[in-house]
Amino acid sequence: METSPLQRALKAAPDRSSVGQARPEQEFFCFKVGELRLGVPSETVLEVFRAGRLTPLPRTPAFVMGVTGHRGQVLPVLDLLRFLGKGEARVGERTRLCVGASGPYVAAVVADSVLGLRRILTSDILPPPLGGDAAAEHLLGVVQPGTRGEGIALLNFAKLLQTARQRAVMR
Amino acid sequence: MSARTVQDAPETVDILLVEVGEEVYGVDASQVLRIDRAGPQSFALAALGALRHGRRTLVYWTDSGEAQLKVDAVRGVSAVPLACLRRMPPAATRSPLAIGLSLAEERPVVLIDLPRTF
Repeated sequence: METSPLQRALKAAPDRSSVGQARPEQEFFCFKVGELRLGVPSETVLEVFRAGRLTPLPRTPAFVMGVTGHRGQVLPVLDLLRFLGKGEARVGERTRLCVGASGPYVAAVVADSVLGLRRILTSDILPPPLGGDAAAEHLLGVVQPGTRGEGIALLNFAKLLQTARQRAVMR
Repeated sequence: MSARTVQDAPETVDILLVEVGEEVYGVDASQVLRIDRAGPQSFALAALGALRHGRRTLVYWTDSGEAQLKVDAVRGVSAVPLACLRRMPPAATRSPLAIGLSLAEERPVVLIDLPRTF
């Protein structure tokens, strides 16, 4: 018996969609601090909460803004603008703290506003600019403006937290 | 920490709360010999922040003798439950000055080891 075009097509059809493999994407938690729009892999972010008044610590680097108590835990609070050499963050009523983890090290970073979770196509992520400043070493890549709204710098959050930890304790 | 150490630890620790500028710090009350008016022997510790006036001083003992640390005000002694004490987050600072935090107050209070201030 001759097979119909539909049956032939079905025989040739793949078992599963290959679209996901061809255009893989990553989920990033995106936020704004100062003039920077930053994204970090969503799996490294534990939670986000409103910043209260911070307790400054004596003899710490300027990028350690202090500590805050949250759910019975003491969290160091980092200023990414100072850490990346891009200015200085300010804590106000709308400031949020994003808690991230890298292994046993848990810390919070200051965000002026939360942009939300964004699924970004891997193909849309461009490599960090060559010959960039010191901040470039902590970038996974950048998403150019126009691809999906404004440009976003994607941070290697785990590496950034580790570097921050080393810089804080090496003083 | 061993079970023996936990058993030996007191249920509360007396923390003397003091103000330096806008900040509140805690010190082990047992380390303070007395609270006095600041005098020529008193010193300010810049790492704790700028003093408003520094009219009070905590007098305590160090290996070098008596030391007098200027503070703005003394809030009093608080019996802080052990459950409210936290060690300094390992990544926050390596300064031996700050030895821990108390969560008994509205926000974390940095606990200072007085003998290391001198």
